[in-house]
Amino acid sequence: MGLDEALLEAPAPDPDEGAEAGAPPVTVRFYSWSPDTLSLGYFQRLVDVPPAAAFLGIEAPGVGPDTPLPSVVVRRLTGGGAIHHQGELTFSITTSLEHPLYRGHVEGSYERVHAAIASALAEAGVMSSPRAERTPASEAEGTGMCFHHSSPVDLIWNERKGVGSAQRRKGGRVLHHGSIKLSTTELETGVATVAGFASPGALAPLLRAAFERHFDVRLEPSVPTAAELEHAKAREAFFGSDEFLRRR
Amino acid sequence: MRPDDRKYTKAHEWVLLDGDVALFGITDFAVEELCNGNEGDLVYCDLPEEGRTLEAGETFGEIESVKAVADLNAPIGGVVLETNEAIEEHLEILSTDPFKKGWMVKIKPNNKNLDGLLTAGEYEAYVAEKAH
Repeated sequence: MGLDEALLEAPAPDPDEGAEAGAPPVTVRFYSWSPDTLSLGYFQRLVDVPPAAAFLGIEAPGVGPDTPLPSVVVRRLTGGGAIHHQGELTFSITTSLEHPLYRGHVEGSYERVHAAIASALAEAGVMSSPRAERTPASEAEGTGMCFHHSSPVDLIWNERKGVGSAQRRKGGRVLHHGSIKLSTTELETGVATVAGFASPGALAPLLRAAFERHFDVRLEPSVPTAAELEHAKAREAFFGSDEFLRRR
Repeated sequence: MRPDDRKYTKAHEWVLLDGDVALFGITDFAVEELCNGNEGDLVYCDLPEEGRTLEAGETFGEIESVKAVADLNAPIGGVVLETNEAIEEHLEILSTDPFKKGWMVKIKPNNKNLDGLLTAGEYEAYVAEKAH
């Protein structure tokens, strides 16, 4: 999460130092989580996410001795609902809000990103489509989980939500988080999954190729800069700290 | 045409000087980017505590729509005197009246110089360019 924050807060490329003219650069990260982690949406209250409340020993509706617990709880920079990161491919996209992908209203940017994801999923044999006005079978009240609540632009298949997504817009830049499940989790029952991949990382090449096609970019393999790593290290503990988790 | 009694930022905030105080808010363009016409899409707005000192450009709050969290940035510096509590209960105000009832923060400015900000006309031209 600290690395995603570093990418979100990265300074704009300097044209005087050789930055290319044209569309701003796009950075895509693919990752999975170890150990399994529950991430809260930026504005979520702990009492609205029973497993997070139970993890911190807070009395809340639905919290009891049998409440399943994740290994770790963090709060994300992005909004939306909680996600149990287990058996999942997570990706982040960071770029300028001036990039054509993110210019205009938020809903339109989701439509463009989700069109790319749907294209990748189709190659994996999964036929997804925007929810529109349908009510997926994965909807569930009171869990606080992202995959149990959907909006019209969310991708669904088998009548269930299959891609969790949220954005943070800051200083003219955007951080876009996405999650795709290879299996359901104890906290995310009844959601859509992608079968047939040995590991979350095996799905990444399909997404990368689809992003390149749809975003009209070429994604070069890269590693974080020293400054980005330093930022991530400095913020490593913050996102799971009591101070940040109990902020709401 | 947006109100010409105030100045604007490229991040779509506005500031209105009124005697010894200044009001901050966000423009209809900012709301439209977050909601695309669905005023119910705004779900949360976090505003600063009274007494907090803000620097120009500093993040003074955050607003969440169904699919995005966006920072709110102070057009000028000063000390927070009051926040508009009505917004937190009725976020639709930001859609229906962003320039009057939708004010967010009242501050005592430490500098009333708004020269670095956009006039209404300049802001109109800026958002018109973004729309293309």
